Amino acid sequence: MIGGAGMANNLEDRWQQALEQVKTWARANSPWAIHFNSGSCNGCDIEILATLTPLYDVERLGIKLQGSPRHADVLLCTGPVTRQARDRLRRVYEQMPEPKFVIAVGSCAISGGAFQGCYNVIGHIDEVIPVDVYVPGCPPRPEAIIDGVAKLLQVLQGTEVTKPL
Amino acid sequence: MATQEKGRKFIVPIGPQHPALKEPGHFEFTVDGEIVTDATVRLGYVHRGIEKATESRSWVQNLYLLERICGICSHIHALAYCLGVEKLAGVTVPPRAQAVRVLVAELERIHSHLLWVGVAAHEAGFDTLFMYSWRDRETVMDLLEALTGNRVNYSANLLGGVKIDVTDEQSDAIWRGLDFLEDRTRHYLDITTSDSVFLRRTRGIGVTTPEQAKRLGLVGPTARASGIWHDLRVDAPYAGYADYPITMIVSDTGDLETRFVVRIKELFESYRVIRHILDTLPDGELVTRVPRRIKAGETISRVEAPRGELFYFIRSNGTDSPERIKVRTPTMCNMASVLALAVGHQLADMPMILVGVDPCFSCNDRTVVVDQGGARGGWTWEQLRQYGIDYYRRQP
Amino acid sequence: MNAESTLTIAAKLIEAWTVETRTPEANRLDVMVDGAHLLEAIRVLVDEGWGYLAAITGLDTSVDSGVMEVLYHFCEGAAVLTLRVSVPRDGASVSSICGIIPAASFYERELREMFGVRVEGMQGPKHLMLPDDWPEGLYPLRKDADLTMKEAEANGDSREG
Repeated sequence: MIGGAGMANNLEDRWQQALEQVKTWARANSPWAIHFNSGSCNGCDIEILATLTPLYDVERLGIKLQGSPRHADVLLCTGPVTRQARDRLRRVYEQMPEPKFVIAVGSCAISGGAFQGCYNVIGHIDEVIPVDVYVPGCPPRPEAIIDGVAKLLQVLQGTEVTKPL
Repeated sequence: MATQEKGRKFIVPIGPQHPALKEPGHFEFTVDGEIVTDATVRLGYVHRGIEKATESRSWVQNLYLLERICGICSHIHALAYCLGVEKLAGVTVPPRAQAVRVLVAELERIHSHLLWVGVAAHEAGFDTLFMYSWRDRETVMDLLEALTGNRVNYSANLLGGVKIDVTDEQSDAIWRGLDFLEDRTRHYLDITTSDSVFLRRTRGIGVTTPEQAKRLGLVGPTARASGIWHDLRVDAPYAGYADYPITMIVSDTGDLETRFVVRIKELFESYRVIRHILDTLPDGELVTRVPRRIKAGETISRVEAPRGELFYFIRSNGTDSPERIKVRTPTMCNMASVLALAVGHQLADMPMILVGVDPCFSCNDRTVVVDQGGARGGWTWEQLRQYGIDYYRRQP
Repeated sequence: MNAESTLTIAAKLIEAWTVETRTPEANRLDVMVDGAHLLEAIRVLVDEGWGYLAAITGLDTSVDSGVMEVLYHFCEGAAVLTLRVSVPRDGASVSSICGIIPAASFYERELREMFGVRVEGMQGPKHLMLPDDWPEGLYPLRKDADLTMKEAEANGDSREG
């Protein structure tokens, strides 16, 4: 055998590296998102839905809203977290495969918004699961939500995509 | 047979997490084959405790909070609250403000009904109609934004009036928008009553007779599609509806198709009323002064939200914050009908029946839990989490 | 028919069980009813087809008075008839009206959860709105409810991140 272990390792490393590049490329070109409402007023939710429809049409950018957390890369969270939705939110997050990213959409998701201090509200999203991108607004415009996703993709393309649980 | 099957019945849970739609709610449908034999609901995933929160906020702060009960019908919540507080305070709101309130309320109804047409079509698998109706809905969203500065949660109301005025330019834009929408709405009416594939999902499905509708306490367009003559804009005109009367749209067929037809015909009525308002908008002030402390008393404020009667009970003890605000939303009334109607229908019709009442949430994601001799095969969150971690560790 | 005469009809229908009436504002009539006769009064309204049940409101105005109120709002057109039942704060209970008006089930479940008013003869699981791990005996819409729950208590296992 010519070359020996060093060479083989090198080849394997390069192969791994190329594979990671392809994965990142694929991920950034077509992120699949899932939406979860943990106590929102529907305002942000209809705006998220609006991003799918012809005027904004995020699918042309490869972004697809997906039904199951097991197929999703990005979790779009709306609303403050209510006592009852907390475990559901955590469940949805845990079910997503690594690497996974969370975008908190709207003032309530960021800080609890108008619902701060309500007895059944635990708090905001990043008290329950880690958040990568915050999109402010009550509700944010669809453009702002798309911008949030785009920012995430930029980070994704530029960096190694591993993150502690 | 029911008892015999009991140990092995299938329960299909739907929700609370679901892919494309709005709020979480959890339904459990017990099925025998494809036929639903029992249904239960668990609400409260978005219960935040707003009624309690109003007691510790001032009258003005509550306006902001109550508008955020629902992002789809935010204006009507604020309107019901304002009308109630104004009644308690004994102030008269200028006619121009009342007309603008009706204008925004009807624009909101247009946005809400178009949204529903899209969502309901999506549930039936008719995504083309979903996309078209949401595209056209952007027209009314633009109008609302031009008028109030926000696409959702418009904050048009103040205690004692409105904070927005309608300029000539805006009026022209609304005229143009309505012309476009009216044309499109005719198209939707045509599609939803003639597309044979779509009709197989709607015609004769989820029929609610007038007797049932009355017994179940249905409200709004859902009730009017079952022959109930009930619309607060007509029965008890509030804000400017006495000056800008509307015609009630009622049909007594009671199936899903009728619900489409009634809501779409209501759109035409909204277009007509809005044009009427723009033509004859009274001049004058937009707001009148409301004291910081509201006189002690109790009032009931009822308005017709896009989904039906919205009921506010407001009690003041003379301080600067309310003693009690009770809100009864239309979905609360209509939800019971879903459970009653579900029995005897195909499981595949469930999303349509759910959406048929235009609930403030719809669920469409499903997983199946098999009942194995009594104990539900459910996993605790810890078990599930551990399983997930182990599963991914095992992956090469 | 205008709201005034509609309300007059309603007042006549339930005259036998009326303790006291009030007209707080136009198109409204408040009727105090003894809890023991609530079902009979509602039965008559339903049998005669007067209006529909619009809502059930729980009302806790002060801790000192020792009583709470349960308000049954019936609407017919612009007219609103409210049956008011007074219940003691300790051991509050009313009869379920679901047998007469099935649509009342959600309202009654909400009443029980929020005010701790026992509804005799009501079907359905314990919680409708509140989480399953909600503290026993804590009724959020009562005036003396202590809602400053400790986060640790409320959160259980959950903060491991």
